[in-house]
Amino acid sequence: MLALVAVLLVGALGTRLWFLQGVQSATFQLTLDAAKRREVTLPPERGRIFDSDGRILADNDRVLTVTAEWAVIRRNSSRAMLFERLSGWVKVPVADLEQRFQEGKDFFDPLLPMPLVEDVDEATVQNILERSEDFPGIDVVEQWRRVYPFAPLASHVVGYMGALDEDNIDEYLARGYNRNERVGQFGIEASMEAELHGTWGKQVWEIDAAGNTVRLLEEVEPVAGNDLQLSIDLDLQQYAEQALETKLKQRRDLPTDPKEADRAAQNPLDPKKENGERVYSSSEDFGMQEWIQYKAPAGSVVVLNHLNGQVLAMASYPTFDNRWFNAGISKEKFDQLFPQSDDPDKSILVNRAVQGRYNIGSTIKPFMAWSAMHSGLITAGDVYEDNGTYKLTSVDKEVCAEGVRCEFKNAVDPFGLPSRYGPVQLEDALAVSSDAFFYRLGEQFYILEGRRDELKADLMEFGFGADTGIDLPFEWDGRIPDDAIKEELVDIGVLAKGEAPRLVVGDLVQVAIGQGLFASTPLQLANAYAAIANRGFVMRPHIVKNIYAPLTPDRAGGFADLAAGTVVVSYETPEIKHQLQMPPEQYLPIIAGLTRVICPEYRERLESCGVVFPENRPRSTTGEKLFKDYPHDLLPIAGKTGTAQGAGQYPWNDSSAFGAFSLDPTQPYTVVAYLEKSGYGSKAAAPVVKCIFTALAEGLPGGTDEVLPAAPLELNSPYPAPPKELADQTCLGGYDASVSE
Amino acid sequence: MTSLLTRRPDSGLGNVRSSPSDPSRNIDWFLMFLQATLATIGCFVVYSASRTKQADPFQYVTRQVVFAFVAVVAMVIVMSVDYEMLRERARFLYGCTIMMLVLVVVAGTVSGGARLSFDLGPIKLQPAEFAKATVLLALAAYLSEDRSEEVSYPRFLGGLIMVGVPTALIIIQPDLGTASVMVAMAMGVLLVAGAKPKYIALITLMSVATVIAAVVSGVVNRYQLRRIEAFFDQNSTDAVLKDYIYQPRNAVRAIATGGVRGKGWLDGQMTNSRNDIPVQWADFPFSAVGEQFGLIGCAVILGLFVLMLLRIWRIAHLSKDMLGTYICAGVFTMILWQVFQNAAMTIGIMPVTGLPMPFISYGGSSLVTFFVLLALVQSVHMRRYR
Repeated sequence: MLALVAVLLVGALGTRLWFLQGVQSATFQLTLDAAKRREVTLPPERGRIFDSDGRILADNDRVLTVTAEWAVIRRNSSRAMLFERLSGWVKVPVADLEQRFQEGKDFFDPLLPMPLVEDVDEATVQNILERSEDFPGIDVVEQWRRVYPFAPLASHVVGYMGALDEDNIDEYLARGYNRNERVGQFGIEASMEAELHGTWGKQVWEIDAAGNTVRLLEEVEPVAGNDLQLSIDLDLQQYAEQALETKLKQRRDLPTDPKEADRAAQNPLDPKKENGERVYSSSEDFGMQEWIQYKAPAGSVVVLNHLNGQVLAMASYPTFDNRWFNAGISKEKFDQLFPQSDDPDKSILVNRAVQGRYNIGSTIKPFMAWSAMHSGLITAGDVYEDNGTYKLTSVDKEVCAEGVRCEFKNAVDPFGLPSRYGPVQLEDALAVSSDAFFYRLGEQFYILEGRRDELKADLMEFGFGADTGIDLPFEWDGRIPDDAIKEELVDIGVLAKGEAPRLVVGDLVQVAIGQGLFASTPLQLANAYAAIANRGFVMRPHIVKNIYAPLTPDRAGGFADLAAGTVVVSYETPEIKHQLQMPPEQYLPIIAGLTRVICPEYRERLESCGVVFPENRPRSTTGEKLFKDYPHDLLPIAGKTGTAQGAGQYPWNDSSAFGAFSLDPTQPYTVVAYLEKSGYGSKAAAPVVKCIFTALAEGLPGGTDEVLPAAPLELNSPYPAPPKELADQTCLGGYDASVSE
Repeated sequence: MTSLLTRRPDSGLGNVRSSPSDPSRNIDWFLMFLQATLATIGCFVVYSASRTKQADPFQYVTRQVVFAFVAVVAMVIVMSVDYEMLRERARFLYGCTIMMLVLVVVAGTVSGGARLSFDLGPIKLQPAEFAKATVLLALAAYLSEDRSEEVSYPRFLGGLIMVGVPTALIIIQPDLGTASVMVAMAMGVLLVAGAKPKYIALITLMSVATVIAAVVSGVVNRYQLRRIEAFFDQNSTDAVLKDYIYQPRNAVRAIATGGVRGKGWLDGQMTNSRNDIPVQWADFPFSAVGEQFGLIGCAVILGLFVLMLLRIWRIAHLSKDMLGTYICAGVFTMILWQVFQNAAMTIGIMPVTGLPMPFISYGGSSLVTFFVLLALVQSVHMRRYR
């Protein structure tokens, strides 16, 4: 009987096995192939961005999105019908829906329903869902949308987000993103993507052959991204943006009267020629015009705290409203707002403060001066006779006669002749901006054994020629020319073919006044001035102050309650890269020179520190007239003008630079402004810096506009950002400085 | 085959001191070979089913090999002992077993809602597994005291109680699978001992009644019931039930898609890549064989088991006393039932229980137990001349 049972049991097994594996195998293989898993990633809520006071610069809104099942809209007939019915409810033309489908059909995640219309209002959703039998495959999901409550303020810093595109999609998919996600494309949104994004959750569904979900296998909740507190003070940011834009606008429309202190660029008749030719007759555009308005197309401002390296404000013009990037505008509208152009003056989507590639003109002089003293080339007391022109000593007269440039002139005075300053010491050379003094240094650095490398090393110590490492994307490295760099520039055709593929003496003479092949970003310049201001500490600038744990609570008035949040990572401690040696005999003459640029009265005070002045005091300094009405007692400052010559060396192509820093350690601000094609340093950049220091001295927001949340984005606006203006523009004025640089 | 049965003593040149009836010269090497083959196949199956599901692909197979060595040692020890001697120790072993079962119900490690094992560091000791051997021994010893051809009614009742107590304890754990093995074993032994059909019917009735009582009284966990529900409602859309359908349904898919020749070693879509069949290496190794080696592979495994059963059947006949016959009968039914139950749940003709497939499934307790059971059978074979 036991045997019988055994035979029966084994027989049952055998029969069933034969049936399964022999007969039904193919059928089961079909079901197996059809039974797939669908993994749906759940994007987390993105971290928010606050200014240093906790103002919410980037926030998330819940929006309702109408989605459509692929199975339904892939069939032409049902899609046409569906779009027809849907169009009226969601107020989107059928053609636009069709276009979105055509563009998105190969792009959106095929496993998720296609997002068809974003940001649909509650009533519409209600109507659609009530008629769900009319809308097969249509569903409504809640999604996050990025909003910028204070746009367009600090747009270049905060940045924007965008859909994945062909260039980056593989990289993001590899990092776990799904195709429908938007990622940071610019500014902090881009550079801090990893912190802001958070961790995905997921749902794993088993699906059958028809694509229906059978059951939920696994679910993991998403973790929201970290919040960021920036060091940006939005009050100051708004003020800096307004001052920059106002001044640029002023520079574009100047009187054409030689008696005016602020006037348009002049192209006078050439006194040496009698046929009515003008001095800059080689200019094809303006050859016959006497007055030429500055283009003043662009500029940037950086405000640093030079004791900790934090960026308090960073403005870049032309600016834009970062809400355009998720306003769902058409491509035509986008091209109208952000036209494609080869003209760098018109670029909007660059942060000139970290991406601008500029000659910085005479603002380089304090660093040249330090390097010359540091390397023992000169001492502060050495006197140089500046007679307006510097002739190279290292080049033979015959070579010079063959057309090689051997003579370098100071900037011209109002009479078209190079300014002469007579006997100058280093301090005076800085105060009056004697080019000849620095031309000589440039030549010395070139001809003396090993000094070229020393100069480059010194400038690099100040942070030129390498990115500062700030937490913003696309930062430019800057450029300090050497043989290799020049050869490369000749190779790629930036320099004319005739140029020697190695450094010649003229190159270093140009570097000495911040011209020629030397280039820097405004941020690098500000960081270098900060190193003088804090007496030698070169820091890595930061724009992110603290990283907070996710979901920092709100408090009233558009602020986050930072006190209730938890700091995860803090960048408040300064990140010092290295310290420069600045003994008093080198440091004080530089400070004295830069202080005299702003305020000649400070000379007496500084003499008590042991600085010796030459007997015959040179002519007035480059900034003293402008800064006459500046509140020196509230916030004493020192600074340096710079005028970078542009294409053709025409006056209307001069770019204006100014760097200044506070002498009061309780108010440790360093400010740099750079206004492209706007004229002399003292005329355009210096007034902007003056305004910012005035505002800092007298306190913000006193006398300035209150920072208000943005009005809704005007979708019909032709501007990338609405124009803005400084409420009180008196600080931009002042008296003309007679010396041009 | 007959030469094995009537093996002649050695010529005397090699082994003069050894008598032909010496136990060590009467090992059933064919049975040993079957057992070793199955255990080896088991290791490969465990490896193939678990390699992609752990950080270390060799984690389970390494442990399984270690278990096999332990099992061999246990086997050698049991084989070297005369089962007649075990008859005297049977009561003691039985007592120990009952105590262990009580202990595990009271203080065992809870896992999946049941107290099945003691956690001894890396090893999980399942007393129910060892109970199979000791209860069998005790029952066989008890029944063999009766010299009559047919087991008497009082002795039948005594045997029933003997099996009933540990079985009840195992149901309380609750482990219906092992309990069913105990019942099967009791039936097998009692059948061979000559129980009347009406007695057997009585056992069947009683076990059914016990199961119903256990279910009603709530001793049996919900999840065990779910498995049975799932078996009878395989297309259910109930969300909870779907979880219980998932594992056996995928096992059926795996084995069915293997076809006649299988998909090849480590080429199984379900076995070798995804985690479609949770704990496949312990619960559904037969599906791993089926997917990779198809009907041929399954037939080989079942064939080996059939040969093994035939071999045990033969030893039962050769045994010099009833004790040996009963032991063989018990081992026979246990292996038959477990192989059937495991294979049957894998191919969807029985509800899912946690019963492992002997020698193949991952698990130390099970492996050691079956090695010990076969050692008892060997012991019967070895000592058939004394």
